[in-house]
Amino acid sequence: MNLAYRDTRRRPGRFVATAAGLGLLFAVVISMQGIYAGLVDDATILANAMHADLWIVQRGTSGPFAEASRLDPTLESRAAAVPGVRRARAYTYQLVQRVHEGTTYRLALVGMAWPDDRGESLPLVAGRTLAQAHGEMIVDASLGMPIGTVLSLGGEPFRIVGLTRNALTTGGDAVAFLPLADWQLIANEAPNEAVQTERQRTLERLRATDLARTSPGLEDLPTDDRWRAPALPSPPIHAILLNVDPSRRDEVISVLERWGDVTVLTHADEEALLLQGVVARARMQLGLFSVILTLTAAVIVMMVLWTMTLEKTHDLAVLRLLGAPTTRLAGLVLQQAWMLGALAYLIAFGIGQVLYPYFPRRVVLTPEILWAAPIAVLLLTTIASVLGVAHATRVDPAEVLDA
Amino acid sequence: MTFAVRAERISKTFGRGDTLVHALVDVSVAIEAGTIAALLGPSGSGKSTLVKALGLVAPPESGTIFFHERPVVVDGVAMADLTALRRDNLGFVFQKANLVSFLTARENIEVACEIGGTENPRKRANELLEYLGVAHRAASRPETLSGGEQQRIAIARALANRPALLLADEPTAALDRARGRAVMELFRRVAHEQGAAVLVVTHDHRALDVFDVTHEMEDGRILPAHATSQAPAQESHA
Repeated sequence: MNLAYRDTRRRPGRFVATAAGLGLLFAVVISMQGIYAGLVDDATILANAMHADLWIVQRGTSGPFAEASRLDPTLESRAAAVPGVRRARAYTYQLVQRVHEGTTYRLALVGMAWPDDRGESLPLVAGRTLAQAHGEMIVDASLGMPIGTVLSLGGEPFRIVGLTRNALTTGGDAVAFLPLADWQLIANEAPNEAVQTERQRTLERLRATDLARTSPGLEDLPTDDRWRAPALPSPPIHAILLNVDPSRRDEVISVLERWGDVTVLTHADEEALLLQGVVARARMQLGLFSVILTLTAAVIVMMVLWTMTLEKTHDLAVLRLLGAPTTRLAGLVLQQAWMLGALAYLIAFGIGQVLYPYFPRRVVLTPEILWAAPIAVLLLTTIASVLGVAHATRVDPAEVLDA
Repeated sequence: MTFAVRAERISKTFGRGDTLVHALVDVSVAIEAGTIAALLGPSGSGKSTLVKALGLVAPPESGTIFFHERPVVVDGVAMADLTALRRDNLGFVFQKANLVSFLTARENIEVACEIGGTENPRKRANELLEYLGVAHRAASRPETLSGGEQQRIAIARALANRPALLLADEPTAALDRARGRAVMELFRRVAHEQGAAVLVVTHDHRALDVFDVTHEMEDGRILPAHATSQAPAQESHA
């Protein structure tokens, strides 16, 4: 006869309500783990989505995600010429915040090397890859804008033609992929006043030189269309992504390391930099909070189980008087703790499935969390039942005779 | 003469200093198998303490308790596994039925059978429910049973493992006269039909004719026993 089940059956509503309360608590603990995993995943997802073997960044910097990395656009051709390099792509990255139909949105713009890269390697869930050199973009579905939406960026219209899933920045913002030329157009966006002001400054600098005094005609140069020099400098690129012949990987790295103006990072280096640098504090914060929450849950579960056992003191004394062995009384408390934990876990899991899509940042229940959480609940309820078990095994049968 | 249980010069005290109470003072008593004995005495005379001692729940500090003539507690020290002895040989009935609140009437008996190692607990529980006339309340929970029904279930539970010694502490105190009498008659049947030794603590002098023997206590001491039975105890060792 299973005494734990029979005790539970007496007041099923109360048992379920208790489990629901614990379920909410577990949901918070599991959510924290999921948010933590989401943060880690978000931190590396963009780097992973680029499918690059090596990253070339500005000498002495930690790459485009951790800090500013500026490279001359001509570096793309230099890198492509290194023996063993199969493909070199310029990588550009810029955050923008705009208003669309009254709603403020943030986008991380990533330039793609059109026509070589049209977004075939991106995790598309709807729509298509880029089909023309200008005016199209692929955005993450988390932006909440459907295919066909037209956004105005850099004074030009951009139509959303494809949606990705989980292409996010470390800050959780959606990423938009568009041709590199379009990216430069947006990054170059400057008001006419800024252009005119810069032209005036250039003129003033020219007038301050001997050259202007000896060649007065040069003063017309900044406004001469034939000169075609931009008033403001072109934005640099932030990294070069390389795909290399696996058998010549070390050779490529060795060549690039001899270049004085760049640092070469492997994909693993880039991932480690992201985790250790960009999200390290957030990870630590969430990790510590998770530990505190888990301890809080353990104490609450312990108190709940202890109270449940205290309520049964008289029944336990009767069973003890009847000669029930200690193991059976301990088993009653322990089995009930496991039943409570199992139901609470299911409730927590259900709550998560319903609510996680509404969280502003991704909550990722990794396979590790999915198998570790039930084991953790089992361990937690087992440990938490220690007080209850101790009470059950110490109940004095004489208590019944005194009643 | 076979004694199910025998106490020899057992003593027990509670408290210390000014609050020291001598609950049992050199008490010697024996309960013969197949007899029903009454334990009388005013409140505070030590009846419940004696029942706890004989029931191996709260052993005395000095003296010896024999179970089937085997010493099981000597000067407060257990000489055997008291839990196992209780489980295999003793049945308890209290003033309150003390049924396990989360089990039905049948399950209360069944769990006692299970603990005692009865081969078919469900069958034995049904037999006892029939024997005590409460089979129709088998699936009822304790709180839905009347006082009399609860007490009969408690008796059935006490009989679950065919105990050699049945201890009852004021089992009829919460019952009306007729029901109280019926319970006492039931104990007599158990003693005489099943050969158990039955010791009943009672204040009810109207039912003394049911008992084979009465013991009276006063100030922690037991007074000499005297036979009250209308039928010799030995005749009914069933």
